[in-house]
Amino acid sequence: MNWPALPFLLPLLTALAALFMGRPGRLRRQVVGGSAALQLLLALYLCARTLDGSRLVLGIGGWSAQYGIVLVVDLLSAIMLALAALTALVTILYGFVESRLAVEHPLRLPLVQFMMVGINLSFCTGDLFNLFVAFEIMLIASYALLTLEVDNWEIKETYPYVAINLFGSVFFICACGLVYARFGTLNFAQIAARAGTMTDDPLLLIIALLLLVVFGIKAGLFPLYFWLPNSYPTLPIPLAALYGGMLTKVGVYVLLRMLATLLPPELTLIHRLLLWLSAATMILAVLGALSRNYIRGILSYHILSQIGFMLLAVGFFTPLAIAAAIVYIIHHIVVKSSLFLIGGVAAWLNRTDDLERMGNLWEKTPWVGVCFLLQALSLAGIPPLSGFWGKYLIITVGLEQRAYVLVGVCIVASVLTLVSMLKIWNGAFWKSSLKILVHREDPRWKRMAALCGALTMISLGIGLGAEGVFRVARQAADTALDQRGYIEAVTRITNPKEATP
Amino acid sequence: MQPETAILIGIMFTVATYLVLHRSFVRILFGFLILTTAANLFVLSMSGTPDGKNAPVVPAVDTGAVMVDPLPQALILTAIVIGFGTAAYLVFLLYRLFLDQKTTDAIALYRTGPTDEPTDPPTS
Repeated sequence: MNWPALPFLLPLLTALAALFMGRPGRLRRQVVGGSAALQLLLALYLCARTLDGSRLVLGIGGWSAQYGIVLVVDLLSAIMLALAALTALVTILYGFVESRLAVEHPLRLPLVQFMMVGINLSFCTGDLFNLFVAFEIMLIASYALLTLEVDNWEIKETYPYVAINLFGSVFFICACGLVYARFGTLNFAQIAARAGTMTDDPLLLIIALLLLVVFGIKAGLFPLYFWLPNSYPTLPIPLAALYGGMLTKVGVYVLLRMLATLLPPELTLIHRLLLWLSAATMILAVLGALSRNYIRGILSYHILSQIGFMLLAVGFFTPLAIAAAIVYIIHHIVVKSSLFLIGGVAAWLNRTDDLERMGNLWEKTPWVGVCFLLQALSLAGIPPLSGFWGKYLIITVGLEQRAYVLVGVCIVASVLTLVSMLKIWNGAFWKSSLKILVHREDPRWKRMAALCGALTMISLGIGLGAEGVFRVARQAADTALDQRGYIEAVTRITNPKEATP
Repeated sequence: MQPETAILIGIMFTVATYLVLHRSFVRILFGFLILTTAANLFVLSMSGTPDGKNAPVVPAVDTGAVMVDPLPQALILTAIVIGFGTAAYLVFLLYRLFLDQKTTDAIALYRTGPTDEPTDPPTS
């Protein structure tokens, strides 16, 4: 069974089916929702298969690994696949509840599925150029979704998003060319095998820096993040949750994969650069969040601040630190997308998400408030919620490496996160004013809030079962860092006679 | 890499950077078009100098000549198609931007600053 191909074939077929069904209808929704659920089950199955640290490798077309396309699923990929499928499922269901069939844009569901093709393919691929193609599929679908339902005023915010990502793609092609010129292959395993013997080659450093810029743009690293906080708020709420939860994390995953599996671990200059850039991202983005006055804007800036935490952990580059980054990614994707959705429910109830004009929500809808409070405190890192464990691990690693300044930055950023979350809490939930109405007539908000509640429960589960999550993350980190095993697994599948190079 | 190709790619990157740094979104579009071409040329030049080598489709048995490395050509074939698609998308986006805002100049577009007070999320 060719399991590694299924995670992107399934959404591809769903997207095509949805396209051919044409107008939005009940059947089309059932097909897409069912497929999203199936993708989640598939990803969980892949997690179970790779839990022992094994890798599922598929050489497409039976070509030799040096020139052909290889798909590799290890535990890290499987975890990311599961998180992507979970986010997609919840946001698709939220979209079903939020918008009636009559107003649903006919292209939204197919485009979401096309985006999932790109996201899943970039988690599964074992080939640099195939990764480029996956990124392009994801980005083109994301451009289209971003501009699908914007109004005439907000269209100008989407242009920088499209432009900066196009330039990222151009640099990615250049990096592919350089890699091919230097290593004579684009396969991850072969690059890893050859890069290990040429650690003092200056071209290797240039390639690594180029890749850092490319994936830094996708992830939203410090000097390259200006496109994100203005463009994400233009999206409808369920799509904003999907984008905020998943898209930048694809960049983080690929950076992690590059540094851990592809490039030799001796590139300490890159790691140190990554440390300081992510510290800057963390602090500047959280200050940006404080400056905003509407929920989607605050949350968009928070995505960046959290990216800083993850990449800081990647930059420390010990097995424990990589595990910490993975724990943080798991926590962040669930919490971030649920915060966007809760913000959406709050905005639905107040008919606005401008904090000046919101209020009364704690009094009228306490359960939405409880969900928000749990997730916001988790984001800020209050024990025993899920965010605490990620931050605890990162700070432990930081103290081990005597990086006291970076640890200080982490703590300051966490406190400022709490402050900006309190801003939403005070503005939307706690404030009571007779002038502000809470619109509870339309019962759809209850089902939307129930979805948020489900995500909150998952996040609580991650917080309370932190021990198990950490063990899985540790296993994923060890597998990702095991370059020799990766090389062996790939070369064995494509050419059994070829020994380890 | 041949020196003349290297110089050509360098000039194209310079021109593209110059155009991209302009305020007008149309010039950014042109900069992007030149930049993709430069990047494709860069990847193509990675297959080495073609002097005395056969095209990849011709079997090299009788002449004994070496084949040009075909992989970079296969890569840019994909990259050209993707670049063409995204360029077409960018043109349409620009056209819609122009229809909506009656300008493509960044200063005029963002005079009011980024949307601090966005419209409320659609409730339907």
